[in-house]
Amino acid sequence: MQRRVFVKAGGLALVSMGLDPIFLDRAAYAIGPRGNGKTLVCLFQRGAVDGLNMIIPHGDSAYYRERPRIAVPRPGRTGGALDLDGYFGLHPAMAPLLPYWQAGTLGIVHAAGSPARTRSHFDAQDYMETGTPGRKSTEDGWLNRHLAHAVDHTETPFRGVAMGSQLPRILRGSAPALAVGDLRAFGIQARGAVGDKLSRAFESMYAGEAGGGIVAKSSAEGFEAVRMLRAADVGRTSPQHGATYPQSPFGQSMQRIAQLIKADLGTEIAFADVGGWDTHVNQGASEGQLAVRLRDFAAALAAFATDLDERMADVVVLTMSEFGRTVAENGSTGTDHGTGTAMMVLGGGTRGGMHGAWPGLDPADRADGRDLAVTTDFRDLFGEVLVKHLGNTDLGQVFPGYTPDQGRWVGVL
Amino acid sequence: MRPLVLVISALAMTVSPARGQDPGRDSIIHLLHRATWGARPGDVDQVARIGITTWIDRQLRPEAIADRTTDRFLARYRVLSQSPEELVRLFTEAQRAARTRQAGGDTGTMMRRQRRRDAPTGIQRATLELQQATATRAILSERQLYEVMVDVWTNHFNVFMAKNLDRALTADYIASAIRPHALGRFEDLLIATARHPAMLVYLDNVQSVADGAQPPQVIQRGRGRRAMMQRQEPRRRQGPQGINENYARELLELHTLGVDGGYTQDDIIGVARVLTGWSLDPRSRARFQFHRWAHDQGEKQIMGQVLPAGGGENEGVALLRWLANHPSTMRHVSGKLCARFVADVPPDGCIDAGVHAWKRTDGDIAAVVRAILLSPEFWAPVHRESKFKTPFEFVTSAARALGAAPDTSFGLARLLTRLGQPLFMYSAPTGYPERSDSWVSSTALFNRFNIALAIASRRAPGLALRADASLDLAAVENNLLQGRVSASTHATLVRETTGLRPADARILMVGLALGSPEFQRQ
Repeated sequence: MQRRVFVKAGGLALVSMGLDPIFLDRAAYAIGPRGNGKTLVCLFQRGAVDGLNMIIPHGDSAYYRERPRIAVPRPGRTGGALDLDGYFGLHPAMAPLLPYWQAGTLGIVHAAGSPARTRSHFDAQDYMETGTPGRKSTEDGWLNRHLAHAVDHTETPFRGVAMGSQLPRILRGSAPALAVGDLRAFGIQARGAVGDKLSRAFESMYAGEAGGGIVAKSSAEGFEAVRMLRAADVGRTSPQHGATYPQSPFGQSMQRIAQLIKADLGTEIAFADVGGWDTHVNQGASEGQLAVRLRDFAAALAAFATDLDERMADVVVLTMSEFGRTVAENGSTGTDHGTGTAMMVLGGGTRGGMHGAWPGLDPADRADGRDLAVTTDFRDLFGEVLVKHLGNTDLGQVFPGYTPDQGRWVGVL
Repeated sequence: MRPLVLVISALAMTVSPARGQDPGRDSIIHLLHRATWGARPGDVDQVARIGITTWIDRQLRPEAIADRTTDRFLARYRVLSQSPEELVRLFTEAQRAARTRQAGGDTGTMMRRQRRRDAPTGIQRATLELQQATATRAILSERQLYEVMVDVWTNHFNVFMAKNLDRALTADYIASAIRPHALGRFEDLLIATARHPAMLVYLDNVQSVADGAQPPQVIQRGRGRRAMMQRQEPRRRQGPQGINENYARELLELHTLGVDGGYTQDDIIGVARVLTGWSLDPRSRARFQFHRWAHDQGEKQIMGQVLPAGGGENEGVALLRWLANHPSTMRHVSGKLCARFVADVPPDGCIDAGVHAWKRTDGDIAAVVRAILLSPEFWAPVHRESKFKTPFEFVTSAARALGAAPDTSFGLARLLTRLGQPLFMYSAPTGYPERSDSWVSSTALFNRFNIALAIASRRAPGLALRADASLDLAAVENNLLQGRVSASTHATLVRETTGLRPADARILMVGLALGSPEFQRQ
């Protein structure tokens, strides 16, 4: 653990020597970009998205047999899927993403998921976030382990950032990582000298925390981040290139991630949650509950890519969800917990197209006769992205108990 | 630079000797940290006077503790006396009004939203009242351990107040399913939650019917709209057409056996079939009703047990009783109680103590809690101040330490929302997390700093804080921080308040103390 250097050399010692670290650090942060400039944006569709109604296998007749009330019609019909390759289609509410498919920068891995057999949201989310499916004792998250083990980087509290007020498990661990809500409201809410005095007071109380545990660490990283945000004036950058983000929590998250990336604060990993996918009841087909969520999801992604424009060459967006949903609709025009789902990769270096093996929807091909089977272990997908996009050199550390094998990579990058 | 850093951290670990040396006192502080919503000035002395065991036993018999001040205070909240029928009516009215607005192309002006925020009416007012009354109770009640247990079970049997009818049903859920059984028998508590409309709606059991079951008649509700939908889609039957596993799964995974409790997917389906027909009275939508037509009459097998064909409503009750007293349930639920009272990773000895009491008393919750609080693991010094307060605990303990009474606004409800713990608004059935690391983050800390300063300067809506000119550094350190103040916190309090006007110094002392690392722990 070679971390925390920046805090030791930063606030604490200087405070005790009577210098004002706020003043000093502001000057220090006026220097240019940090890191290698690559960013991975991970988006967690919490609640298990129905991959089969997001990326629709309209060429598989079993899809229509099993979903008489909630299937999205074939391409060309009213409310029909947007055809991708003659067999799969995009949900019509995700039209904003179609241009990226056509431009070859949107890759889709269908039938991806976890090798661990569980249909519990909470276990499955834990497995996907810790990166150790089937093992519950893992405390830290795989994104954090990547940060902890990757060499050659500059320490900045923005290296790993999660949108929201809590750090998700996927980013918890020994490497610095930050949870941020509204960038402008981050920090002590008082201006000028009073604000500086209050910040210094809280910072010194927490710097003296015995043991330097998670509380002291969160405080130190927080104050460090406030200074950087202030120096870079991040919260004030407005969307560029005509991008319009949805006014939803997820839209706001994507806009903030774009602001951080554009401010060159050294953000290597950004994470955001997007919820509302647990569609047990009345999920709808072309329109309805799921369509509303997908519309928001796709619109925010498209706005993000528009906003970043050519900077997208250095950014990869990776979507994930803890599992998929039953092939057949349930008794209440919804779907229950399933197994495999679809994940998407967008941006720099992505090889557009459908990736991974399609297991088919016939009962004999399903997991337990009911779910879309998993043909791509999520670690194979996440590992490929870490290596090819962020230059990770030690996947064994990121995914303990897993033997990396490039032969299993789907080639999405 | 390194030696300097080391000196500072070594100093930080020495605890103020004035109060810290008395082990009895430290134990009492620990008990109050875990078994109440925060210590008021004088509480430690009171427990010292009557003795720890006596205090626990009194708290475990809340009906014998007078609580008239709290009752008087709560009388202002209409939601606590409104029937679920009445609340469902308010909810339906609000929905109808929203539909009318939408149909008229009115998406709501800034002004109207502002008005709704300032002077909420109808169901919106009722939900805010419920959140505010709950926080008020935690702060004011003399039945502290009981109110802690109400929160434990509310969270264990979580419902999400934003899920359609639950906006109206949650108040009755707390009042009639959780509160009467919070220190009673687990079995009764489990059955009460299982049958409550709020749970039936939240985890979709109202949608779960036997395969092929058909209602005797279409219920006339929302009249024209339903008829119109049927015309548009003549071949598609309306209403549920099979089982929904959602409640069955969470019942086993979260409420009873635990995820490793030894059940399979087939068992989940079996449980879901047993509970088909557990639904709502379609007229009021506020009361439980068993629908024979929807119940799966077939034989079921659950974890090796055969439930013969033809069982009706009682089949479900018997199943819940069996689950409530299953060894996996005892361990799982005792473990959760130990995580709340003792340590985020519950020690085995504590769980064993809970399970043992459970077996001995057939799941008498008061006995299980007593066993946990009197277990050696509870008192192990290593667990003292090892837990990070949840936002709810942060707010209640601040109010109690300062002797601040809740005011009549909805300020507490909104404060908790801002801190990330809006009451009854956690969407996933796990309920709010108990583990400290789920609540610690830079943003969470900044929120607490800002709210601590707001409370101290009497700018926090929701709390009426008396100006107390006698408050000095010693009083702040002893009452707010129980005399357990690190060197760096003490030094900061002194340094930052020196030279200020007395009134400003008091504000800053209180604000910094509430925002200090010591005050975040319990």
